[in-house]
Amino acid sequence: MRIKNSQLCVDNRFTAKSHRKARLKVVLFFLALLFLLALSMLLGPSGIGIPDTQSASGNAIISLRFSRLLMGMMTGAALSASGVVFQALLRNPLAEPYVLGVSGGAGLGATLSILAGSGIFVSLGLPVVAFIAAVVTLIMVYSIASQGSSGHPSVYSLILSGVIVSSICSSVIMFLVSTASVEGMHNVIWWMLGSLQPVSSAQQQLSLVLILGALGGIWLLSPRLNALALGREMAHYQGIAADFVLVAGLLLATLLAATAVSLSGMIGFVGLIVPHVMRAFFGPDHRKLVPLAALGGGTFLVVCDALARTLLAPIEIPVGVVTALAGGPFFLIILQRRMKQAWIA
Amino acid sequence: MEQEALTFRDVSSGYKHRKVLDRVSFSVREGEFVSLIGPNGCGKSTLLKTAAALLKPVSGVVELYGQDVQCIRPAFRASLLGVVPQKIESPMAFTVYQIVMNGRISSMGRWGTVSSHDHDLVERSMIYTDVSGLRDRYFTELSGGEQQRVALAMVLAQDPKIIMLDESISHLDINHRQEVLQILMNLNREKKMTILLVSHDLTLSASISDRFLLMASGRLIKAGTPSEVLEPETLSSVYNCDLRVQQDPYTGYLQVTGALDSLNRRKKLNRTVHVIAGGGSGIELYRRLLIEGYEVTTGVLNRLDSDAEAARALNIHAVLEQPFSPVGAEAVAEALNMIDRADSVILSQVPFGSGNLVNLELAAQALKRGKTVLLPDGIADRDYTEGKAALQLVSRIIKDGAHQWHSIQDLMLLLHKLVNTENR
Repeated sequence: MRIKNSQLCVDNRFTAKSHRKARLKVVLFFLALLFLLALSMLLGPSGIGIPDTQSASGNAIISLRFSRLLMGMMTGAALSASGVVFQALLRNPLAEPYVLGVSGGAGLGATLSILAGSGIFVSLGLPVVAFIAAVVTLIMVYSIASQGSSGHPSVYSLILSGVIVSSICSSVIMFLVSTASVEGMHNVIWWMLGSLQPVSSAQQQLSLVLILGALGGIWLLSPRLNALALGREMAHYQGIAADFVLVAGLLLATLLAATAVSLSGMIGFVGLIVPHVMRAFFGPDHRKLVPLAALGGGTFLVVCDALARTLLAPIEIPVGVVTALAGGPFFLIILQRRMKQAWIA
Repeated sequence: MEQEALTFRDVSSGYKHRKVLDRVSFSVREGEFVSLIGPNGCGKSTLLKTAAALLKPVSGVVELYGQDVQCIRPAFRASLLGVVPQKIESPMAFTVYQIVMNGRISSMGRWGTVSSHDHDLVERSMIYTDVSGLRDRYFTELSGGEQQRVALAMVLAQDPKIIMLDESISHLDINHRQEVLQILMNLNREKKMTILLVSHDLTLSASISDRFLLMASGRLIKAGTPSEVLEPETLSSVYNCDLRVQQDPYTGYLQVTGALDSLNRRKKLNRTVHVIAGGGSGIELYRRLLIEGYEVTTGVLNRLDSDAEAARALNIHAVLEQPFSPVGAEAVAEALNMIDRADSVILSQVPFGSGNLVNLELAAQALKRGKTVLLPDGIADRDYTEGKAALQLVSRIIKDGAHQWHSIQDLMLLLHKLVNTENR
């Protein structure tokens, strides 16, 4: 036993060192986020600069940029955290709100409510309708995938039926758009391209509450997500109410995705890639991963938005285009170097 | 007498469309080391899943320390019972330390904070299983043996009173298997931990277990000390092959052998067996006879009958009649030819009606021509002829000296005996 004890001491020192290293990494990450957020506040069509805080127009610019920053943080955090949860629960690197049809369903719900109504009623109803539509889609996908299996669908059938339902949803959206009035069509298409144009403050507040609530719920689940990453059966053996965590996690992730879609339209990529990159840097422990991925996803979207409004100013590029075009290659390089630390498939 | 740790009371259990466990009752006392044995697919894993409340019994009760396992809170259940699965797979790059920490999750506080008690338990389990040197390695990169030890450490970190292992050690090499078993034995002896090990290595299990539970097709066949359960006849019929049990003269351990022995014998067989079957009743017979090394012929069968299809697929020479037609004189003559060339004639558990009564008459003819005839028992349940003609015919054949068989295992032993007596 003597040898074992000394070995333990060495290990402890080693662990302490790696703990310090991990903490340093998190601090650096926070500093980088703050820097990037500040930078995107300063970035405008006329280049980098602090707007004149004395003049009314300068103040207006600052407040507009700030509300876009808030929109970006909310949407990005929601999409990215939702991706983390889907990937953990389905134990699949491809899982994300789009693949499971959740975003498609939310989009369909949002399209319907944009085309149907107008004014404040729409803007408050939008997140609710989007969420209901997303949940209905999720239940549909889940029950289709469960057919024939003994109550618990396989990941493959879930993803397959998710992709199918998702494409059905987007066809229906296309159909609705093609038969809509010019104004309705304009609204829907602009919304679908995805943008962080601030929505009504009432909708912003509601969305903020929904997103913070869902993130909090997911954070409470996060230790159990670690156990579920080893599979439903193993999690059950370890004394975790696996089915409860599975259902609660799927619902919360759906709420996040639906709220994000109703806020800013269809912005892809964030929910898939940001979780992978965060996992590559900070490891798969969900207690850390969930908050870090939320912050990282939010900041990423804010930066992309700053680029979207400055690169071709005065033309504004849809932010969804920037996320994929600018973020894609960057993330590919990171993943290629660090995939082993994230996901071993 | 120690307390009962795990009790099954008349438990039936299974999956949506398939019942696997059939009224199983047994109990394991605290501090026992029990091995659960039985052929593939007999319900061992289902039994473990039912014990751990992953499956809800259709009827009956599973009790952990006297409490219905379905009613225990999950976190408390995990502190009583740990399960080491056949293999754990982590798609994400968890480190060994993170994996072992999983064992503590259910008993952590709401915020997932790690107390010093959690930390100590994790450290202790890692030391016990000798994986603390691997703590910062990625679990997925470890060898199979290391992964299995980490899995055991994770389950030990739950600090359970009972550990069940589901064939967790079968695919380890001999060195790691010994090591894991040594760990288990220490836990059992020093910490009075109750252990239920699903195992295929009968010899190894016999050397370490207090008691054996033998299962076959969803039922508990036998329970008792290794020497009580490891009986050649019982094992041979459960595993459907010829097994032998010997006691090692030096260590006193029981050893189960036999597989290779019967392989050697197979090549020497030079005997032809004619099978009278139909309706799918012959397929298992063909398979077993061919494996044992017999030459097989069969007939008369109707074309498109599943036995006829099986015979064609297995290259068995068969006499065939048109589909759904009564057996004609030509086919009967050909079948009699085949019977003349065979050493024995076996009748499968085929039901008889007016259409195939001719086949039974073939068996009677075979007996008259001096062949050994082997009939299955229980013909009365399969007789659909008018006036029970088949039953009468069978009792006459038996009176004339035909052998009767009950199970296929039974039949194989009977055939071996016949071969041996004739060779002498």
